[in-house]
Amino acid sequence: MNIDLTFVGQIIVFVAMVLLLKRLLYAPINDAMEARTKKIEDGLAAASAGEEARLRAEEEAEKRIAEAKHQAQEIVAAAERRAAELQEESTLRARKDAAAIVDAGKAELEAEKNRARQELRAEVAAISMAAAEKILGVELDASRHSALIDEAISKELA
Amino acid sequence: MQIHLDTMLVTLTVAALIIGFSLWLRGKIVDGAPRGAQNAVEALIGFVNDTVRDNFPVHNPIIAPLALTIFVFVFLCNCIDILPAYLLGHTAHLFGIEHFRPVPTNDLNLPVAMAVVVFAMVLYYEFKLKPGHFVKELLLQPFASLLLGSKNPVVKLLGVLLIPLNLTLKIIEELAKPLSLSFRLFGNMFAGEVIFLLIAMLLLVGSLDELASFGGLLSEVIGFFVGLGWSLFHMFIGLLQAFIFMILSVVYLSIAHQPAEH
Repeated sequence: MNIDLTFVGQIIVFVAMVLLLKRLLYAPINDAMEARTKKIEDGLAAASAGEEARLRAEEEAEKRIAEAKHQAQEIVAAAERRAAELQEESTLRARKDAAAIVDAGKAELEAEKNRARQELRAEVAAISMAAAEKILGVELDASRHSALIDEAISKELA
Repeated sequence: MQIHLDTMLVTLTVAALIIGFSLWLRGKIVDGAPRGAQNAVEALIGFVNDTVRDNFPVHNPIIAPLALTIFVFVFLCNCIDILPAYLLGHTAHLFGIEHFRPVPTNDLNLPVAMAVVVFAMVLYYEFKLKPGHFVKELLLQPFASLLLGSKNPVVKLLGVLLIPLNLTLKIIEELAKPLSLSFRLFGNMFAGEVIFLLIAMLLLVGSLDELASFGGLLSEVIGFFVGLGWSLFHMFIGLLQAFIFMILSVVYLSIAHQPAEH
């Protein structure tokens, strides 16, 4: 059980084994493991980036939906305001038209009343002159006595 | 100077098998999901990488392959003990080789050779990475360091006189590393072999006439189960010793790579 030439042989075998295993087994397997690890890390990074992009897109979509809702609310509010204004305008216009119609009717009524009054006056004057002629037995001069008759009628109608 | 043919033959055969396996596997390596042998080897290399990474302060590309070689080589050499003791011996005897001892780790030459290689690497890295610190440690630790710092010339002289003692102690300390590393493996495997022989001599019968008796049969049956139990335990010891040799080598090299404390 002593150290001899086998010792030198074993050193050579061992050192050669280390160098050969490093080259033939360790390095290729380690490279494959590192390549796979890198691939997995890249995949995870890509998945993470995709997830982030999805979250960003969702946030953007939510933001846009909120903006759209806000805009829609503004549009609806503006439309409601406009509708109220139009209603108000229509009401005012209708009231104005109605007042104008009433005024026109009143004016027409007044005109009719005056015209009827003139006609009535003329007829009353004619009837009065005819009655007076019969009562007096003489023919009255319309141009001369019409002023008196109108004055009498006016007093009566007033 | 003699050479142990049994040790050389077995280690060369184991080395050739490992290299042959590596060459075979090299052509089948895939980057994708590993299968079969590649999967097993990746698990082993992953384990070795983790062990080295946990113990090593810096990256050194030779350490992990060294640890892998130690673990695989020692484990496979230890595993030869599983084969029936007479098989390789009788086969070798047919080729004219007497006293064939199949387990190369039972020969002190192999553990010492590996330990010396590791020790040489430790010394190389100690001198390469922190030469001043290592020489200072050799000469001034553990006694002279404080004494030389004294202003008293007598104490200082005492410190100088203690340098040879420090050197001796440090050399013993450093030599103890490869010595313990190699003798631990050798002792465990040799003791295992001795116990196999004891079981065979004490319990197994020597002839068919003895086997025909009740006592002989009982002894043979007990011997079989005791031998089987010891074989399984010895396999575990072989694995454990391979791991211990690997981890201690990594730790010694790791200490050599540690930055010098000032």
